[in-house]
Amino acid sequence: MKFKGRWDEFKVSMAPRIEEWKFILKRISESPLAVTGLAIIIGFVIIACLAPILAPPQGHDPFVVPQDVELAALTPNPTPPTTRHIFGTTDQQYDIYYACIWGTISAFRIGLTVVTITLVIGLILGTISAYYGGVIDEVLMRFTDIIIAFPGLVLAMALVIAFPTIMPLNVTLIAIILLFILLTASIILRLSKWILTASLLLIICIFINLYYPLILELNLSRLDKVLVSLSLVGWPSYARLIRSEVLRIKNEDFVEAAKVAGCSDLRIIVKHIWPNTIYSLLIVSTLDIGSIVLTAAALSFLGIGAEPNFADWGQIISRSRNWISRPELLVRNWHTFVIPGIFITLFVLGWNLLGDALRDVLDPMIRRR
Amino acid sequence: MENYLIEVRDLVVRFYTYAGVVEALDRVNLKIKPGEILGLVGETGCGKSVTSLSILRLVPPPGKIEGGKILFNKDGKIIELMSLDTESMRRIRGKEVAMIFQEPRAYLNPVYTVEEQIGEVLLLHRREELLERALKTLEELGRNSSFESRIYRRMLRKPNSLITKIMAKFCSKKTLREEIHKEVVRLLKEVEIADPERVAKMYPFELSGGMAQRVVIAMALSSHPIMLIADEPTTNLDVTVQAQILHLIKQLRENYKSSILYITHDLGVVAELCDRVAVMYAGNIVEVADVYELFKNPLHPYTRGLLESIPRPDKEFKSIPGTVPNLINPPKGCRFHDRCHFAKTLCKSVKPKFIEVEKDHYVACHLYGDQ
Amino acid sequence: MPAPILYVRNLKKYYPIFGGILKRRVASVKAVDGVSLRINEGECFGLVGESGCGKTTLGKTILRILKPDGGNIFFDIPQDIIEEIISLEEKNPKSDRLKKLRKQYDAATFSGRKLLQLRRKMQIVYQDPTTSLDPRMFVKDIVAEPLIAQGIAKGEKAKNMVIEILKKVGLNESHLYRFPHEFSGGQRQRISIARALVCKPKFVVLDEPTSAVDVSVRAQLLKLFKDLQKEFNLTYLFISHDLSVVECISDRVAIMYLGKIVEVAPSSAIFKNPLHPYSQALISSVPIPDPTKRRNREPLRGEVPSPVNPPSGCRFHPRCPIAMDVCKKEQPELLEIEKDHYVACFALVRR
Repeated sequence: MKFKGRWDEFKVSMAPRIEEWKFILKRISESPLAVTGLAIIIGFVIIACLAPILAPPQGHDPFVVPQDVELAALTPNPTPPTTRHIFGTTDQQYDIYYACIWGTISAFRIGLTVVTITLVIGLILGTISAYYGGVIDEVLMRFTDIIIAFPGLVLAMALVIAFPTIMPLNVTLIAIILLFILLTASIILRLSKWILTASLLLIICIFINLYYPLILELNLSRLDKVLVSLSLVGWPSYARLIRSEVLRIKNEDFVEAAKVAGCSDLRIIVKHIWPNTIYSLLIVSTLDIGSIVLTAAALSFLGIGAEPNFADWGQIISRSRNWISRPELLVRNWHTFVIPGIFITLFVLGWNLLGDALRDVLDPMIRRR
Repeated sequence: MENYLIEVRDLVVRFYTYAGVVEALDRVNLKIKPGEILGLVGETGCGKSVTSLSILRLVPPPGKIEGGKILFNKDGKIIELMSLDTESMRRIRGKEVAMIFQEPRAYLNPVYTVEEQIGEVLLLHRREELLERALKTLEELGRNSSFESRIYRRMLRKPNSLITKIMAKFCSKKTLREEIHKEVVRLLKEVEIADPERVAKMYPFELSGGMAQRVVIAMALSSHPIMLIADEPTTNLDVTVQAQILHLIKQLRENYKSSILYITHDLGVVAELCDRVAVMYAGNIVEVADVYELFKNPLHPYTRGLLESIPRPDKEFKSIPGTVPNLINPPKGCRFHDRCHFAKTLCKSVKPKFIEVEKDHYVACHLYGDQ
Repeated sequence: MPAPILYVRNLKKYYPIFGGILKRRVASVKAVDGVSLRINEGECFGLVGESGCGKTTLGKTILRILKPDGGNIFFDIPQDIIEEIISLEEKNPKSDRLKKLRKQYDAATFSGRKLLQLRRKMQIVYQDPTTSLDPRMFVKDIVAEPLIAQGIAKGEKAKNMVIEILKKVGLNESHLYRFPHEFSGGQRQRISIARALVCKPKFVVLDEPTSAVDVSVRAQLLKLFKDLQKEFNLTYLFISHDLSVVECISDRVAIMYLGKIVEVAPSSAIFKNPLHPYSQALISSVPIPDPTKRRNREPLRGEVPSPVNPPSGCRFHPRCPIAMDVCKKEQPELLEIEKDHYVACFALVRR
């Protein structure tokens, strides 16, 4: 009995939100460009899910592009599309079809990971900066300015090269740094219980480190290094965006009302400010996924991205570098860069269309109030 | 045939929104006599602003005027405003019929000074007069044949030629600007702004609410309109400033003899200021009468409800039960029937006609007349 | 004399203005400049004034939304403690005992847990129902928020308390899971009221609650306020610039001008017989909804001066028809001119 009541209650409570989503989907379906974008993305998702079926991996690591050894013995040149290799092969006979299919998974991985990390970093820093203002705001924003001042791509390249392949992680040191951040955060947010816990744990960690330093070795693949560097470079724009949105919401009556009701700062931020400001973030992040993938492809093309033979669109295009120097070679080896290029273009186009559509839909919805 | 300045006949306005078609105005009938102050009273959403915007054909999309006529009696000639083309309508807007709005600072461009904005309106509607004044000043100074004079004369003769416009760019037009400045200061003095020289050089954000409203009134009056539409101009102002502005409007009516359509939801202001009152509800005019008559003898149940809900000390708070109907699917018949004490079965299905029950006292209600 | 539930003494709130290259404080906007008030339990106290006079700032400072720059706020404190604090402040302002007493009893100095306890007893209803409700939260969550934030109730228990209070303000259970923008202005204001009353406060500041709604809804809301006051034994501070509304709902009224109170009296006394020249001008400016009672008086001249640079002495002297020399130099105190009728004006004292 009780469970049925709860289920009904859940349905009633979810109904308005479902109505909102239905409204969003209806508006998206009314715009042909938006539907195209959505269709493209869904198409790529299907490809990514069906990758093991569409292009069965050979060997234990599915992300290593298979090499046609027989053909390699015959000629090192890239071969145009045939029945055995649907999209043709690159030099040394690596199958382009396989690379494109599994490259989809890589693309999603790059895009979603980087955007998520930058979103989280930007969200936290931007919110703290805007909500507390004053000195904290100045310090954080100047730090952001420093990061922005570096040309993003160049900085990413430098970071990729600087990260060692095997990164030694002093676990206790990292634990100390994390606890330090926790301590600062709890002081800022005035969570007295957490301050106590954090300080205790900090002291314990320092003691452990003195006697038993723990060092882990982290194996970073080259793609992981690309991910990390792009994340470290990409968060400032989110921080600034969130900061301006939070500043706008911070002075609204309902935030003040929440303070009068006795809400803690954390509750106000999480329950009031963030739900009202994420829409613009959502739009920017969908647009960003496309541009992140493009940047990663650029890095791969320059040779500092994924490892050779890794199933990644940019990597495959980079193998075509030496084979398009003269016009007749360009025409003969068109498949080495045009086909992966089409994949990249469609992927970025899909996300851009979706982002634009979301912006068109969410803007009147916000204004409707 | 009585002498009306503006007559609105059977006006129908619809708004085509995502949620549906809003029947904003449902055959509105209104008559404004020359030299009178007509109050238009109603709650939010009843259509009073839309009515006033329709007179100037400024209804914003998705709204469309779909029926009715608006007759404008200009010097004895009757013009049908709906049939005018854009250019002729533009000549009427601002010159013959001016409008002031609720939030004055929203209607002043924040990057131009008061003088520049009033000057823009003056140049638009009183260009020839100002040019001739400038020429006269130059003549008095003996600079009749200077470059500036020649430009002004050319601007009077051939205002639209390209050569005139190019030549005018090379001239500093100082005298013209001075004439504008003098006229602006005169207008600001007329709307009782203290220290008009200083205010003329101010930007809108430096003005207080009352001063900004006066500046907007000055802009509206600069072209001596025969009719002024005032859409809740004092709602956002303090009560002492409101008293000043109402006093000002009364004086301006004396001096300029223009008619004023004063839109408000405050019955106190109506009693203070207006000669006749029209009461609107949900897109219909429900009652029109002389102001004394309306307060002494309200006929329509909605008017009675409004008057009774004015908070009075020592009396119980009375209010009209229910809420304003949704105009997307308005009730058939009388739009007030679901909130009316006296509703009969007839009221649900048949819309009451707007008839003259007593002398000059019109009502749209089945309780009156033989319907 | 029983202690008033709220005793505000000499409250000050200044907003600094920063200027110059080094952003130093060059001037202050004296929004509330030495205001003293006594509000009795169960009464509706009206606070009237025009825009810029500081009435909203006063309301928010009393609620400790803003931190006061001077003065005391005694909420529900016994009379003898108040007297002790006052006498200590006058005789021995630096004493430790004074600091200790203020920390414990003077709401102007509260922070942390004591402030949270105060929040439970004092609440506010805002003017604009559109911006005072979080557009992305359900009505249930909005109204339950004070309960959860102060740890009074959670989950099912909170939901029941929400339903109970919604019924009292004229809404019902079907409204729980809807967004604020689906309601009309009057209904949104009711949600605001429900949120203010859900944790059963004693004192509610109503900051122009009827200004943003229609005339016909206004009367409904006023009736609701009166009924709720009787049922829950609430004390109201009713801030408004609409004198006709204040006249009907308040027991006592104070009139503010440029950060200072100029007159305090019972409602009927102040509206039938205003003594301060500003009160007289203010009350006579209100248009009466009866055309037979039209006045052709000259309205009050001039505009409200800026609170950054208020006039010296009595703030009203540049516009006052009966200003004397002393009015330019000194500020008048609130004195009891007639029974229970306090006015701050030199010209009246002389009589």
